[in-house]
Amino acid sequence: MTLEVAFLFLQQGVASGLIIGSVYALLALAIVVIFKTSEVPNFSQGEMVMAAAYIALYLLVFRSLPLWIVMPATILLAFAGAALFRRLILNQVARANGSPVNLVIATLGLSYVLRGFVRQTGFGDTPRSFPPVIEPESILIGQASVTTLDLVILATAIIVMAAFFWMFKYTKIGRAMRAVGMNPKAAQLVGVDLTRIHMIVWGLSGAISAVAALLISPKVLMTADMGSIVTLGFAAAIVGGFTSLPGAVVGGFLIGIIENLVGLFVASRAIVLAPFLAIMLVLVIRPQGLFGGRVEIKKV
Amino acid sequence: MADYLLQVEDLTVKFGGLTAVNRFNIAVQRGTIHALIGPNGAGKSTTFNCISRFYQPTTGRILLDGVDVTNMPASRMAGLGVARTFQNLELFGELTVFENVMIGAHVHAGKTWGDALSACPASVVDHVERLLERTGLSAYRNACARNLDFGHQKLLELARALAIRPRLLLLDEPAAGLRNREIAALDALLTDLCNREGITILLVEHVMQLVMAISHKVTVLNFGTKIAEGTPEEVRNDSSVIEAYLGQEMINA
Amino acid sequence: MSDKAAAMLSRSEASPPARWTARSNVSPARIGLLALTTAVLIFLPFVVTGYVLYIANLLLVFVVLCLGLHLVIGETGQFALAHAAFYGIGIYTSGLAGNAFGWPFPMSMLLAGLIAGAVGVVIGAVALCMRDIYLALATFAFGEALQWVFLNWDKVTGGPNGLRISPARLGTLEILSDKQAYPVVAITTLLMLLLTILISRSRLGRSFRAVRESEVAAMAMGIPVRRAKVTAFGLSAFYAGVAGSMFATFSTYIHPDSLGFQTTILVLTMVVVGGLGSIAGAVGGAVVFGLISEFLRQTPSYQEIIYGLILIVFMMYAPRGLFAFIHDKAGRVFRG
Repeated sequence: MTLEVAFLFLQQGVASGLIIGSVYALLALAIVVIFKTSEVPNFSQGEMVMAAAYIALYLLVFRSLPLWIVMPATILLAFAGAALFRRLILNQVARANGSPVNLVIATLGLSYVLRGFVRQTGFGDTPRSFPPVIEPESILIGQASVTTLDLVILATAIIVMAAFFWMFKYTKIGRAMRAVGMNPKAAQLVGVDLTRIHMIVWGLSGAISAVAALLISPKVLMTADMGSIVTLGFAAAIVGGFTSLPGAVVGGFLIGIIENLVGLFVASRAIVLAPFLAIMLVLVIRPQGLFGGRVEIKKV
Repeated sequence: MADYLLQVEDLTVKFGGLTAVNRFNIAVQRGTIHALIGPNGAGKSTTFNCISRFYQPTTGRILLDGVDVTNMPASRMAGLGVARTFQNLELFGELTVFENVMIGAHVHAGKTWGDALSACPASVVDHVERLLERTGLSAYRNACARNLDFGHQKLLELARALAIRPRLLLLDEPAAGLRNREIAALDALLTDLCNREGITILLVEHVMQLVMAISHKVTVLNFGTKIAEGTPEEVRNDSSVIEAYLGQEMINA
Repeated sequence: MSDKAAAMLSRSEASPPARWTARSNVSPARIGLLALTTAVLIFLPFVVTGYVLYIANLLLVFVVLCLGLHLVIGETGQFALAHAAFYGIGIYTSGLAGNAFGWPFPMSMLLAGLIAGAVGVVIGAVALCMRDIYLALATFAFGEALQWVFLNWDKVTGGPNGLRISPARLGTLEILSDKQAYPVVAITTLLMLLLTILISRSRLGRSFRAVRESEVAAMAMGIPVRRAKVTAFGLSAFYAGVAGSMFATFSTYIHPDSLGFQTTILVLTMVVVGGLGSIAGAVGGAVVFGLISEFLRQTPSYQEIIYGLILIVFMMYAPRGLFAFIHDKAGRVFRG
């Protein structure tokens, strides 16, 4: 490989990595915001993405609704669905007083139900493709080739993330979420309604998943198993420290870039392995992740 | 020449920029009850956790029976005959009272793989049963530890520590939260352990009623440094100690 | 100590109420359960057909997998999620040893367990510095990476085409049917069950539970916490390896598809739904859940929906598992 080709690959890898990484960053954000406020790694995140994608597909193709209705409707439905799951199911699981892992198992249960349901409706039987939102045209940035669709994906993801961070930082509800993340009991004492915050957090996470679904669906083949893409969101979250929202974003972009560089420089079938090696490497070298807080000494 | 079981020399502990304990010395005579007291935040628990090897001191030495244990892992202290209790109870909550104390006898249940898999020697089980009887916990033998009331949980921690058959017993606020009647009973039990079985006891305590009644020697810490040491009588009348406490508990005691 | 002091120390002389009493160690009910299990295992091949025996073999493999996960999660409280990877190591070790050397199956079974256990100890030594979610994720990543190796190391594992394995043998005896494999599988399961009971009742098991309940207190009792965790993890990998080898005795073909996270999660849910922390729960969970998924196999989508609903409903209303649930309800009936 000449230096010139390597440089070309590098540019292409970084460009493609940033684009797909922006979707991973969204997914990681959706995972981390739930984990931060309720200590539950949501194993149904992938199926939430998948379900949102199929809702959009159904509305767009089978109901022939225009895109400007489909998008907000999908996001709203995902918000409501996730919030209701938290309120109706997880609240009861938390009250039932078992092991903390029970919440995780319940999210796994949801993932099975959603996948089974999509298969049952018949949509999930054959791979489908989502109609392109805009006609993709190729553009060159430096020497990297990207499409207009790619740029729309990147821009949307960045806007959504910015909106999310703004909300988290400056609104009353965002402050309440941060308080719950730091100390749920204390937050409750100063008048934060935990149940309500948990619902909103789940709803938001669902909405972000729906955005990610809308962005990624035109680029992939849709099946009932497409939720496995969230594995990369998990990888991004871990690399970023799992409790850090900025970490999740940086992790998302990193995983996207690593994946693409490995694909270009090593071998395309090593792509699948790259994120897992990244996870293991990060956890062994810096167990709290790149942005995770310092490990505290337990007071005895 | 006094016979010291535990000597702490020049112990300094820093957390970041904060010096929790500063060049602290203490020597605990074999077969005595030695109390470590001081106002909140004086560095008592930090010292205590260094001795039981849960914290690593920044500088200084810890000698057990003349042997340097400063770099010993915490899990090896039990094998050396050092037992401890915890300020905020650390019981094996989901396990039975009996099992809690059995785990205390861990270091006496053999060392080989065969021992690890075989049932416990009868002598160990007997010892555990005797401890339960002695602390009045026999009736709760099969109860889950977390279902006991607070007083019994404190006793269970003590029984579990005794199962180690310690030479040195480190007690972190054993009387905190107990009622007067229970403190009196604890007083009797600790004195008995020291007098009859020769167990050396170092306790960190706020309850002066207990400290003054049973201790042979009292060391007072304030802001990480030793400000007084002596018999309960001497310490009670020490002006710097009274000042440190602003007369609160000392006058009542 | 004086009697007076003893009397003062215990707040009440009355024995504690029944609900406080945790399950005792040896109860007639438990011995009965074990005897019943053994009896069912012995008489099963005389009353059922080959297909049912195939299912029975598969369920027993899951029982051993569950027992292994029970040791590391139920007893030691460490959420390690790489069980399927060790299961895979067991299957491939056993299959490859059979193909290459024609070893008698007890030997390849032991080898499978030992190799899986050794890999478990190495991975555990690294991963078990981490806690909770980080441990879960690190082991998850290891599992996924290993599945990738199974899929891509074509020369050894056959990759996505799978690997044909020669029948397990012992001397001149060759295992060619599910019925012939059944005694091997059943006896191995019983041995592993007895080993689990032995561990649970021993000093080792107590040190595992101590680590689960409180690491600092365990340390103060002289238990090397890290070593206890690695031992539990290594043992659980050993179980998974043996389970893999059991699977190899009645299979002719290995495919890496079933050696990923889905299988780990299946085993985890069996253990949790059965009742985390109890051996009966691990065994019962494996059998009940294994049967359910077998019954539902014909209709994959319904299987997923029902399976998911079972998980959710259990977590909502029977959080301590099937057996605790039955125990509570039965107790209520008897008490009136």
